[in-house]
Amino acid sequence: MTDEHDHGHGAGGAHHPHPASDAELRARALEALLVEKGLISTDAVDAVVEMYEHDVGPQNGAKVVARAWVDPEFRRRLLADGTAAIAELGFGGAEGSKMAVVENTPSVHNVIVCTLCSCYPWPVLGLPPTWYKSAAYRSRVVAEPRAVLAEFGLEIGPEVELRVWDSSAEVRYLVLPERPPGTENLTEEELTALVPRDAMIGTARALEPEAVR
Amino acid sequence: MTDRAIIDRMDASLSGAAPLPRDNGELVFEEPWQGRALGIGVAVMDRFHIPSDEFRTHLVAAIRAHPQTPGESAATAYYGAWIEALERLLAQRRLLSRPNGETPPPS
Repeated sequence: MTDEHDHGHGAGGAHHPHPASDAELRARALEALLVEKGLISTDAVDAVVEMYEHDVGPQNGAKVVARAWVDPEFRRRLLADGTAAIAELGFGGAEGSKMAVVENTPSVHNVIVCTLCSCYPWPVLGLPPTWYKSAAYRSRVVAEPRAVLAEFGLEIGPEVELRVWDSSAEVRYLVLPERPPGTENLTEEELTALVPRDAMIGTARALEPEAVR
Repeated sequence: MTDRAIIDRMDASLSGAAPLPRDNGELVFEEPWQGRALGIGVAVMDRFHIPSDEFRTHLVAAIRAHPQTPGESAATAYYGAWIEALERLLAQRRLLSRPNGETPPPS
């Protein structure tokens, strides 16, 4: 990427560090043609591009988690009505489906799956990882969750209850991981860096501060 | 339908036969035009209410016709096929008079 890149005017506007490929030229020509014919707008294309630049992604979920860690009232609302609490942070609109947040504790570990297809808490986690949609994960995490989590490098002791949540078009789940020890002095923003996507699916824990230093 | 809902639907439809290029679960765009290619697809699907399976059929055919060549990255090959699939779809539905991407003379 060069610092001359132009994200606002796709059809022919970008500067290139090397000659444009044939595919790129065809993409530009197609966009220009569709726009010229009034079939699509440049703004519509820009909106999708910007979504990937700034908007979609697990950082939204990490903000929700960090807020819940520092604000007990928010955490209470989040667990009572995930959709409404997440909307407070400006995230939402998952095609009318409800968001439910399930909390990990020392005695309960939650993990999410969609056994039927690939329902996923989009507005907070962005695009699902490939493995989330694999037939192997979808069937095995229900039948043998401890073994599947161990393959992710996550050992869950026998004393901990494992709950597997099957997402659907109606309800999508988000895991609220446990706040790692030694994070009392971190700010909400610093805490977001400790929340990887997989911790909100339930196939990992939140990171300890040493891990991100 | 929101852009996200459309991409979600396309993503699910394409996941088996012609999955979107990813790294560690995140979509991969090596160059900005590839993100725009995705955006053009979403805009067309939205504008004409195209079923995602219809687009998938064209994409699979385009990938088969133009497999990744040596020296070409996976994302470049994929989004090249993506554009071709859109051209095929627009041609089949006769949505453009010049489906090959030529700019028609002003009418």
